[in-house]
Amino acid sequence: MEGIATATASWNGGYVRASLPPRGVIVRTDRGQTLGEPNNPEQQRRILKTTLDLLAQDAPVDIVVLDERD
Amino acid sequence: MDILENRAEWEATFKENFVAYFDETGETNFKVYNRAKNKTQPLGKAVDLSQSKLLLVTSAGGYLKESQEPFDAPNLLGDYSHRLFPIDTPFEDLAYAHDHYDHQYIDADPQVLVPLKHLADMVDEGYIGELAPTVFSYSGYTPDLARVLDELVPAVIEQAKSQNVQAALLVPS
Repeated sequence: MEGIATATASWNGGYVRASLPPRGVIVRTDRGQTLGEPNNPEQQRRILKTTLDLLAQDAPVDIVVLDERD
Repeated sequence: MDILENRAEWEATFKENFVAYFDETGETNFKVYNRAKNKTQPLGKAVDLSQSKLLLVTSAGGYLKESQEPFDAPNLLGDYSHRLFPIDTPFEDLAYAHDHYDHQYIDADPQVLVPLKHLADMVDEGYIGELAPTVFSYSGYTPDLARVLDELVPAVIEQAKSQNVQAALLVPS
């Protein structure tokens, strides 16, 4: 998107590594719950903030892997 | 900078394999699907999110259940249309048409895919400057990347420009 800073989080690491978005977070959650478990707002906020924090960096930004299952 | 590198080659392979298999059998076969393989990440300037307007792009298939048509979720070749709804839409007004993820999570808590309240809270906290008033929503089963480039991407850009945003967040499903 020209002139607009973008960031994404995805559970699908294969797609992120293949499509190479300017700022991407791979989250080890499951399909259908990209931002975390239902009714776990702390986890959802953590994933969301990790993703949005990347907007403060010039792209390209190295893909971030966030293992929320640890 | 291309969103999809080697588009012509990708499109030819997609038609020769995935589309041809579908035309012959009426079924999809992702063993012959050619995933995008880019080699270069796009360049882009950083933004100060606390001074920026953010557009939410969601591929969860969300739509206003009382006033909008659902996406064509059963379509095995995908639906490349989009819906727009206000960022302050109550969750009870939304439904989700997407056949390729388990809806148990979003039914229990929509914020797992559509973080409307979290983003609003982040504005209140000063972390985000403001939110674009309209959310861009599509149903993210979109195997034809040429149609994504020709239909969805221009629509996202149009929304981003018309809402004068400096940043966009994509939450895929």
